[in-house]
Amino acid sequence: MELRSGPVGRSGLRGLLGRIGFFLSVVVVISPAILVFLWMLSLAFKTDIDNIAYPPVFIPNPPTLDNFLSVFQNSPFALYTYNSIIVTGGATLLALLVGVPAGYGIAKARAHKLGVLVLLARLTPGLSFLIPLYILFQMMGLTGTLWPMIITHLVITVPIVAWIMIGFFETLPHDLEEAAMIDGCTLWQAFYRIALPLSRPGIVVAAILSIIFSWNNFIFGVVLAGRETRTLPVAVYNVLTFEQLSWGPLAAAALVVMLPVLVLTIIIQREIVSGLAAGGVK
Amino acid sequence: MKKGLTTGRGAASSVSRRTLLQAGLGVAGLAVTGGIALPRPAIAQAAGFDWKRFKGQHIEVLMAKGPRGDLLQKYRKEFEELTGITVGDEQVPEQQQRQKTAIEFNSGNTSFDVLMIPYHVQKKMFGKNKWMEDLRPYLADAKLTAPDYDVGDFAKGAIDYATQADGRLDSIPINLDYFILYYNKEIFAQKGVAYPKNFDEMTAAAEKLNDPKAGVSGFVLRGIKNANVVVWTDLMLGWNRDPISKDGALPEDADAVAAATLYKKLITSYGPQGSVQFNWNECQSLFALGKAAMWIDGIGFALPLEDKAKSKIVGKVGYGVMPMGPKANHSALFGDGMAVSAFTKKKEAAWLYVQWATNKTMQARNLTGGYGSPGRNSSFEMAKTATDLKAPREWVDCMSGSIKIARPGLPEIVGVTEFRDIYGIALTNMIQGGDPAAELKKASEQFKPILAKTEAG
Amino acid sequence: MTTGATFSDHAEEAVPTGHLDRFTLDGRGRYMLFIVPALAVMFAVIIFPWLFTLFMSVHDWRIGQAKAFVGLENYRNLLHDERFLGAVIRTLIYTVLATALPVVLGVLSALVFHRNFPFRGVLRAVFIMPMMATPVAVALVWTMMFHPQLGVLNYLLSLVGIPPSLWVFDQATVIPSLVLVETWQWTPLVMLIVLGGLASLPTEPYESALIDGATPWQMFRRITFPLVLPFIMVATIIRTIDAVKSFDTIFVITLGGPGTASETINLYLYTQAFAFYQIGYASAMVVVFMIVIMALCLMLLYLRQRAQWN
Repeated sequence: MELRSGPVGRSGLRGLLGRIGFFLSVVVVISPAILVFLWMLSLAFKTDIDNIAYPPVFIPNPPTLDNFLSVFQNSPFALYTYNSIIVTGGATLLALLVGVPAGYGIAKARAHKLGVLVLLARLTPGLSFLIPLYILFQMMGLTGTLWPMIITHLVITVPIVAWIMIGFFETLPHDLEEAAMIDGCTLWQAFYRIALPLSRPGIVVAAILSIIFSWNNFIFGVVLAGRETRTLPVAVYNVLTFEQLSWGPLAAAALVVMLPVLVLTIIIQREIVSGLAAGGVK
Repeated sequence: MKKGLTTGRGAASSVSRRTLLQAGLGVAGLAVTGGIALPRPAIAQAAGFDWKRFKGQHIEVLMAKGPRGDLLQKYRKEFEELTGITVGDEQVPEQQQRQKTAIEFNSGNTSFDVLMIPYHVQKKMFGKNKWMEDLRPYLADAKLTAPDYDVGDFAKGAIDYATQADGRLDSIPINLDYFILYYNKEIFAQKGVAYPKNFDEMTAAAEKLNDPKAGVSGFVLRGIKNANVVVWTDLMLGWNRDPISKDGALPEDADAVAAATLYKKLITSYGPQGSVQFNWNECQSLFALGKAAMWIDGIGFALPLEDKAKSKIVGKVGYGVMPMGPKANHSALFGDGMAVSAFTKKKEAAWLYVQWATNKTMQARNLTGGYGSPGRNSSFEMAKTATDLKAPREWVDCMSGSIKIARPGLPEIVGVTEFRDIYGIALTNMIQGGDPAAELKKASEQFKPILAKTEAG
Repeated sequence: MTTGATFSDHAEEAVPTGHLDRFTLDGRGRYMLFIVPALAVMFAVIIFPWLFTLFMSVHDWRIGQAKAFVGLENYRNLLHDERFLGAVIRTLIYTVLATALPVVLGVLSALVFHRNFPFRGVLRAVFIMPMMATPVAVALVWTMMFHPQLGVLNYLLSLVGIPPSLWVFDQATVIPSLVLVETWQWTPLVMLIVLGGLASLPTEPYESALIDGATPWQMFRRITFPLVLPFIMVATIIRTIDAVKSFDTIFVITLGGPGTASETINLYLYTQAFAFYQIGYASAMVVVFMIVIMALCLMLLYLRQRAQWN
């Protein structure tokens, strides 16, 4: 249901002014995001000399791919990308595995106090995990593998999945499962056969937000990842060169890292919005 | 090797006993290098010595990001071919690298077998905990050290800098960094200013050359906390004052205040806006764009400054030895070494890497390639006749000149980072208007208990 | 995000299905089996760090030195640590600003995006890109834009005749500048939550208001705002938690500088733990920090409940 909360379109001068005002407000709202990303694009496709020229050069002329080449030549970005995919994918899959049933259970049992327990992970400052977990993973002999990163990222992904799924399952009608259980379905079958298929849109949103926030995580990787297990955000930070302000490669690296999540965002923006709206924020 | 030629010029006769390199790095050393043959490529080295004893092993090397890391990575293949050992090496930004080595060492297990260690920050902490292998037995073992390695070729000052208080030599110096005064010759010529001979002339030159309207500042200096401390201590050495004096006095006396006052003046009167948050990369960018007349920093920036893709002042860079201070003439010294983790199971292979990384060829390449400043005398001998110098000869000359007046720019204590952080904040406060004497006093009050605690434990 | 679900007090409501009213194995309790794995995973990951932190917080331990039991000394020292107290104040200022601005702007932009207009979908996607983009990468780009001599922001200011700012390069402007980045990045999150709220609004009140001849402002003030207030509160809570823990942005752009001008608790904590290696002291700081965060959350939850009663 679309309901206009602003000035409702009317005929006449006032309506026209209102419309112009509205479109101006759209421009104002949207331009900070657009301008920063455009500037980033500009930096990534210019030479270093142009990048630190003043007054600034806005349009790359001619555009250069050198910055991207230098990023890929100077560090194993392919390996980092692979690591990021495994860590994000692993942490998201595991989070779905435990988070979706948990969301269902909490919603059905109305056990929101337990939900708050899951929330505690989100309240804990990320830094405080690092040294204890490093020591723990070393005792377990896991350092040098991607497991420490996957496990630590669960701190991010499980709460996201659980919270979104709680909201989602709460809006599902109970009748179907009740009927199924009266027909002899077990609790598990009712969840698996009836609730789960219905919650597909919620799972998609949960998975994607989980992917995005896990992908973007920086601080865990700084301490827990090594040469072979580094993820992309840490790699970008490491592009900061020793010598000087090397803005082109930096912007290029930033762009490479962001690209997957930005593409995902554009593809599924409708689902994110409708998923959040449907899931409802109670 | 001859002793004690160097230290301060002129009025600096009361030179501190701590002048580290007084025992003959550089020129004093060069005098006795006549017998050293020019190094040949590493592969052809040393008939009879078995480099391949540990072939098939794999070692991990953790380095701080910088030119020396570039150098070692560039020639890694030579080592792998020479020894049959495979190497996984990585450069990490220095803050992260320092964190990582300390945390891993502390856990009693390291993911790396070889590490680069900054003497000016972590030497004492790592040494006290015996986290790095004592290399003296390795050097003495003919099966492990190639006959042409010649550890005696290292300047005594360099080896002293690497040696721990208890006599352990748990790393080999790969690079020594001296603070110098970069200056833009074009800007100097335009206004007819000569290279300053002392701090007063340096200030006067900055005054004359500072031209904010034209977008040129007289000086550019690191202002960001932590990194700024070494600029101040470099100036302080001109007052013949160590960061922490031999008797443990913290830098809050008249000399320390005078140096801080000069630092404040240079940055606030002649520095670009926002200097308080500049690290070396911001400084270097402005200097390379021709937007600053002078810049005090480590000597290792010749390559980017002489690179047309990165610099607008190629060929116009002057490399000046630190001018004379009111009481002495010194250049702040810092340095890095290569070391073997005490926790590695592949100690011998790791030592072979350290040995290769610091051999005559690699050290010479450090200098001739413009990467940095080696600890071996033979490297300088090489550079004298080298025709393929990547950096201007003036840079090498500046290095030779700085070596003679080099003196540690940071105290040899466990809590170097705390020192840099606390005094660094004091300096940023000064830049933002604070009084040097009051700020240094406050910083010393904060630092005193930390020093007592970290040195006791 | 739907985080808000966890804050709701549904447990107090009557359970509509009637026969599941007791928390027993055949009532609500049987759903425990669904919840246990997630709780087990969460506790497995966070319980050891918590115990470790509590244990360390009563010890004096610097990496590389022997550790010693000191009781509550670390906590007492925190009270006298001017730098820590400064960090607490800065954290509060930062949190208030980095919460209030995104919330206000997020509500306004949600009102814009709630209306239908051409290309709304695409523009909405562009609008939420900042919150999806990797914060470290974003922070690096902002660092370049803030540069006092070479940055594009000062150039743009000069075009419209405004004198250059030093942005993050001066203690007076550093926190507002960082808040600017944070606002740019997180306004979309608030917008999404409020947009969800707007979408769920009933239509009847508006229809009767229109009949009564209410102005748009009156409708917003009397109908829209009260109805979406719970959503705004949820957004505020989420923003508060994130702002108080903000790390990536400050770390990358200023490292807490100039001096300590942007050093929040999290940044000071980082310095103590990873630069000074004072694990004991840093652990005590984590404990206090957790208490501050929880207190903030509880306060906001209380405010939210009051908003609902009204």
